[in-house]
Amino acid sequence: MALPKLVPWLEARLAPTASAQVVPGGPSFAYVFGSALVALLGLSCVTGVALSFFYSPSSTDAWASVAYIEDQVAWGWLIRGLHLHGASALVIVSGLHLAQAAWLGAYRRPRELTWFAGLGLLLLVLGFAITGFVLRWDQAGYWASKVEVGIAAGTPVVGDLLRRMAQGGNDYGNLTLTRFHALHVVVLPAVMVAAVGGHVWLARRHGVTRRAGAKADDTRDWWPHQSVRNLLAAGVAFAALFGWVIAVGGAGLEAPIDPTAAYDARPLWYFRWLFLLRKLAGPLEQLAAMAIPAVVLGFFAAMPWIDPGHVAGMSSARAARNRRLALGGFAAICVAVASLTLISWRTDAADPSLQEHQAAAAKLAAKARRLARTYGVPPRGGTAVFETTPMWRGRAVWKEQCESCHQGDERKGPLIGAGYGSRAWLKRFLLDPSGDEFFGRTKLAKSEDAMEPVKLEGAALDAMVELIYQESGADDADAERAKAALPAFEETCGDCHSREDGVSSSGPALARRGTIDHLVHFIGNPKAPIHLGEHSEMPRFDREVSMADREEVARYLVWLRTATPADVAALEPL
Amino acid sequence: MTRDTDRRTALRLGAYALGGGLVAAAGAPVLRMLADPASKTTMTSPTDPIDVGPLARLKVGGEPLNVPVIAPQVKDAWSAVRDVVLGSAWIVRTGESSCSALSSVCPHLACAVGWDRGKQHYVCPCHESLFAPSGERVSGPSERGLDPLPVTVKDGRIQLTWTRYRVGGSRREPA
Repeated sequence: MALPKLVPWLEARLAPTASAQVVPGGPSFAYVFGSALVALLGLSCVTGVALSFFYSPSSTDAWASVAYIEDQVAWGWLIRGLHLHGASALVIVSGLHLAQAAWLGAYRRPRELTWFAGLGLLLLVLGFAITGFVLRWDQAGYWASKVEVGIAAGTPVVGDLLRRMAQGGNDYGNLTLTRFHALHVVVLPAVMVAAVGGHVWLARRHGVTRRAGAKADDTRDWWPHQSVRNLLAAGVAFAALFGWVIAVGGAGLEAPIDPTAAYDARPLWYFRWLFLLRKLAGPLEQLAAMAIPAVVLGFFAAMPWIDPGHVAGMSSARAARNRRLALGGFAAICVAVASLTLISWRTDAADPSLQEHQAAAAKLAAKARRLARTYGVPPRGGTAVFETTPMWRGRAVWKEQCESCHQGDERKGPLIGAGYGSRAWLKRFLLDPSGDEFFGRTKLAKSEDAMEPVKLEGAALDAMVELIYQESGADDADAERAKAALPAFEETCGDCHSREDGVSSSGPALARRGTIDHLVHFIGNPKAPIHLGEHSEMPRFDREVSMADREEVARYLVWLRTATPADVAALEPL
Repeated sequence: MTRDTDRRTALRLGAYALGGGLVAAAGAPVLRMLADPASKTTMTSPTDPIDVGPLARLKVGGEPLNVPVIAPQVKDAWSAVRDVVLGSAWIVRTGESSCSALSSVCPHLACAVGWDRGKQHYVCPCHESLFAPSGERVSGPSERGLDPLPVTVKDGRIQLTWTRYRVGGSRREPA
């Protein structure tokens, strides 16, 4: 069937027809909120499906897969942004829809069930937010969820059971993620489809609640007169959402969860009023956290009874009073929620220490994501991403065990930094072994066993440097030049230093000096006769630091040989 | 009446355009995202030769030996995994310091090919493709012989470069 024929064919079968589809009082932008919500829900659903093609709900992979979506999948950041901020849009438009329904008295008979289904849908949206926020497995989602589960755990009698049910056992882990994931992508969507279906069916059954000023004689059809308005509203909602997501750069992602790190947990913005309320309630926080939402919801649910409209035998004054009570209560709740939300934001904005923490958290998150993008995340997951920094282990051990004696003004031993073991370093050492950079700060330098400066110059000195340098196994060692220094070595150095593998002398043996093996052995026991012997003030590390860790340190030291101070400064901080 | 009809038509077209726009706005980024892995190397395998053990394990003219090929590091989408078994290879010692290697991946449908001592042939257990000791196809559904892998010997150790070939077909192409 050709397209020009297909369109009317489909339209005749799909477009709403018949008089039931005449909009009472004429089409209006007043009726667009429900359609906009359906469109936003559809967008959440589609983006959620796309995310599930990449997301992995396990405690070792969750953050890594989200970081992958955010930073490495084409348009992944946009999809995540639409999914997260789409929920915010749902909350906002739901609020407008609810407020309008309240204003029109749309909760009254016979539309009570529609009203209840609508309230249920709002709760479902919030349920999606709670279950979804954990799935990122970052600091923000983790700590916000801990607080929420903590509140649930405070419920009398069943609290602990609720907590264990929510987190799937005694603590946060794989089962927490699989549970929240199953709720978020299977259970809640199924309930949502049923609730939306019920709500829309009921809304259609009863028709729109006639607004004031509607023209009774307007008989324009739903299609296309109302539909075009609905679609236009959905388009505006989409445009606003896309604009916002692009402006804020997506959904963001904090550093992977670290149960040991302090984090200023903040809930999603639509829970901020409760967050502040709990803070204000002080010792009554449990009551505030549980009772107040129940009271608010209870009031909304009771509105059909508080204000049933004109029923037989009721005076119009009474009906007006009921109306004022219902709308007044509704407005009071809205104002309270809005004020608490604003105050919470402003309090945070005026808290300099919070700003500082958030800036530090943002920096850490950026680093974690940069490392994940560059090196990938180790199978241990989470904070192990920080260990992918080049030479991380060696540098970490160095910092913990070695740095205090070999760096800075307070050091007791030789300075070890960029260029350590290079030709320039060896040359400086040979000319002034007891200088401040070398053994100057050790007892050895002041003893009669201290090494004498080498009295060589020019090419002879360079050859001696090369002879020692080539022991390190460096690729660029010049064997020919080194050979020229052999007679001088025998004459001036050979009494104290052996060049033969495994042979010790009164001074440190130079065979394979500067290789990984040599460094591992030296760090293990500098007091060994083959190294510094009893002259060494450096403790032995073979008992505290494993062979593997000493090797990592040795790799770092070998790297330093060819590094410049700029290279060292450019290293990713640990 | 015509003005009403015109207006109705305009509204209908407007509604279609808006609906199409909404679907496109949601659909385009989603489809782009879903297509992303198809154009990427999401699972890296090392291009450098991999050490698969000492040559001394094999005798010149002896039986082929199956060795696992273990990558020191592989990036699998977001994970950086160490010591990943990529597959295995059949090694034959061809001289004092030389050997040859065949991928154990059957070119038919990627089952792992075994060595049949009795027949002195490689046999695929899944569909009974038979290959000569040289790797050449003898019989069975496979359309080509076993895929050779680049291999060298350095300091007495076998260094193998792992390559995946397209499964199926008579032509050998890297996958």
